[in-house]
Amino acid sequence: MIDRLLDNNLSWAATRVRIDPGYFQRLSLQQSPEYLWIGCSDSRVPANEIVGLDPGELFVHRNIANLAPPRDINFLSVLQYSIDILKVRHIIVCGHYGCGGVRAALTEQRYGLIDHWLQPVADLAHEHESHLQAISDFDTRVNVACEHNVRTQVESLGKNPFVKDAWRRGQKLSIHGWIYSIRDGLLRNLEISVDRPKAVDALSKRPWFPDD
Amino acid sequence: MAEKAKRAGLEPMPLDLLNEPLVWLFAEHYRHRDICARLTRLSTEVVCDEPALREVIDFFEIDLPLHIIDEEDDLFPLLRRRCEPEDQIERVLGMLSLDHSRDQTAAAKVKDLMERALEKQTGLACLADAGTIIANFCALQKNHIALENAVVLPIARLRLSDSDLGALSKRLSARRGRFVTTGSEE
Ligand SMILES: [Fe+2]
Ligand SMILES: [Fe+2]
Ligand SMILES: [Zn+2]
Repeated sequence: MIDRLLDNNLSWAATRVRIDPGYFQRLSLQQSPEYLWIGCSDSRVPANEIVGLDPGELFVHRNIANLAPPRDINFLSVLQYSIDILKVRHIIVCGHYGCGGVRAALTEQRYGLIDHWLQPVADLAHEHESHLQAISDFDTRVNVACEHNVRTQVESLGKNPFVKDAWRRGQKLSIHGWIYSIRDGLLRNLEISVDRPKAVDALSKRPWFPDD
Repeated sequence: MAEKAKRAGLEPMPLDLLNEPLVWLFAEHYRHRDICARLTRLSTEVVCDEPALREVIDFFEIDLPLHIIDEEDDLFPLLRRRCEPEDQIERVLGMLSLDHSRDQTAAAKVKDLMERALEKQTGLACLADAGTIIANFCALQKNHIALENAVVLPIARLRLSDSDLGALSKRLSARRGRFVTTGSEE
C-alpha cells in the first residue's frame, strides 16, 4: 500500500526530468516564491495544483480551517520568514466551502484538542450568532462562516506586526481572501484584498451582513 | 412506435448563453420544466422508452447537480455579499437552499425509478410508486423555479455588477469544461 507512494514519486521525478533534465538541479539552488499560501489541511485542497504553480513558486502553510493565529509560533515563523527573508509579494488566505473545521466549530459536538484550535472560529460564529441563525440551511450557514473566517484571517494579518513593519519599510505586500469549492475545483475572490494599513481599516469597517 | 420516433429529445443548452449567466440560469429553468413535463408523460407510459429514460438519467447525473452548484456555491454567495437590507435576500435564499437539499433526495428517487424501469424494460406506469415520486419531484421543482425566476434572478440583475457577471460566466463555463480567458476563449 505505502509502497505505491514511493513508486508514484519515482514516476513523478522521472517524468519531470524527461521533460526538463535540469529541473531539479535548478530548483535545488534556490527558492524565490512570490506567494505565501495559508490554506486548510483538508486533503481535497491541494494548494500548488489548484493555482497551477510549480514547486518553488508557492510557500505553503496549512492548518485545520486555514487560520492565521497571532500567537501560534509555527504560523508566525512561516509569516516572518516569508515576509522578511523570501520577500513574498502576496499572501493568500484560502478557505473552502464545507470546511470540516468550521463545521465542527459551529456545533456542540466535542472532538478533543481540535476544539481548542477551533475556538477562534467558534468565537466568530458566536459574535455573529443572530445573523448566522437566520440562515435556515445548516450547510449554507457553514459556508457563510467559512467566508467570514477567511475575512477574519485577512484582517488579523493586516494588523500583524510583521506585516505592518513590512508596509512601514515600503515593502510591497498584498493580502488576499479567497474561497475554494471542492465541488467544482474553482476559486472565488472574496474581494477583501488589502495592501496598506488604510485598506485594513476600511475592511474592518465594512459590514459583515447587509443589515449590519 | 412511429409516435415515439418522432418525439424530439431534450434540447441541449446553447453554450453561447454562458456569456450571460443570468440568462443561462433562466434557460436552464425552462429546461427543468421541460424535464418535468417529460417525466409526467413518461409516468403514464407502459412501454419502456429507453432513450427517453436515459436522457432523464443524464439530466439527473450531470445537469441538475451542476445547476445546484451554480446557485449554491456561486450565485447565492455573491447575492449575499451584494444585496441591500431591503432585498431581504436571506429569507428567500434560505428556502431555496432547503429545496436544494430536498432536491437531492427527490432526484435520487426519480433516478432510481428510471433505473428500475430500464432493468425491467418496462414503462413507468407499470411501477406502482412512479406516479407519487414524479408528482413530488415536479411539485418541488415548480415552486422552486417560480421563486427563483420571480425573485432571485430579478434581484441578481439589479445588484450584480458587470464584473460580477463576468466572473460568474467564467466559472459557469469552467464547471462545464470550458476555459474562458478575458475577452477570448480557448
Ligand atoms: Fe435554479
Ligand atoms: Fe435552485
Ligand atoms: Zn477545511
